[in-house]
Amino acid sequence: MICEPIEPGRWRLSFTGPEAGFLIQVLARLGKNYQENAARMPPALRAYWQGTISRGGVAGKDDLKEAQEVLTEARAELRAERLALVENWMREFELAEERDPWKVEISGTERDEFAAMLNDRRMLVALELGITEEDMEADPGRISNEARRAGILEIDVLGHFILVMLGPQIYRP
Amino acid sequence: MLTPIRPGTETGNVAIFTMAKPGTQTTPDIDVEEKLKEAFARGWSVIVWNDPVNLMDYVVYVFKTVLKMNEKDASRHMWEVHQKGKSVVARETRERSELIVHRLRGFGLNATLEQA
Repeated sequence: MICEPIEPGRWRLSFTGPEAGFLIQVLARLGKNYQENAARMPPALRAYWQGTISRGGVAGKDDLKEAQEVLTEARAELRAERLALVENWMREFELAEERDPWKVEISGTERDEFAAMLNDRRMLVALELGITEEDMEADPGRISNEARRAGILEIDVLGHFILVMLGPQIYRP
Repeated sequence: MLTPIRPGTETGNVAIFTMAKPGTQTTPDIDVEEKLKEAFARGWSVIVWNDPVNLMDYVVYVFKTVLKMNEKDASRHMWEVHQKGKSVVARETRERSELIVHRLRGFGLNATLEQA
């Protein structure tokens, strides 16, 4: 994947054929997740989508219940918005005359949304598989469980896509 | 970073304070005043918690985008999350804090709200 600025506030993303194929599979799974009823999801995924407004003794207080409801509602709206974005990306791919490389031009807002969407998938895979810090630091080749190894590789590849798009951010004096 | 709205500078709220005459205030007015005071107090902390998946550079980017932090502050808060498990990234009014929590969560960060 390559990300190049084409003018202030606009970028061109180029995916090789296999990268584009992988991305479309990821988006299809993500779209499915955005459509699922959060109430029927496993607890970890439900918690991710519903959100918690507070910790440290104030959670569940009456005056925060309203805020919690607002957050849950906003999270549901966010999933609907992200589903529409996924559908747009998939439509772009279907309509593309050339898919190797597949090139897409995006604005700053679209770049943020796309990074957040890819990060959603990373978080969901990690929650589904119960990925820990140790798993993330381990060599994926040494993980015997196939689903876990595939999940970690997917998290890593999507992380690479995000970093290519956003570039290095950490301040180094 | 974030501009607070001061009581008395918004026309919608000014009426509550300026139109009430001394000695004519009723309990509901006091409630309203207390609620307004609470609403304008920057006594709510937005906390970001560590997790095993979010990338350091991504977290810095989100802090810069959502909280309008400069690179140095965003990096400092990211390291605090990474090393200490959490960081207070903003102290704001309740309404503003709720909005920040929602935006941070929209980027996949584990953010919560606490009364300071």
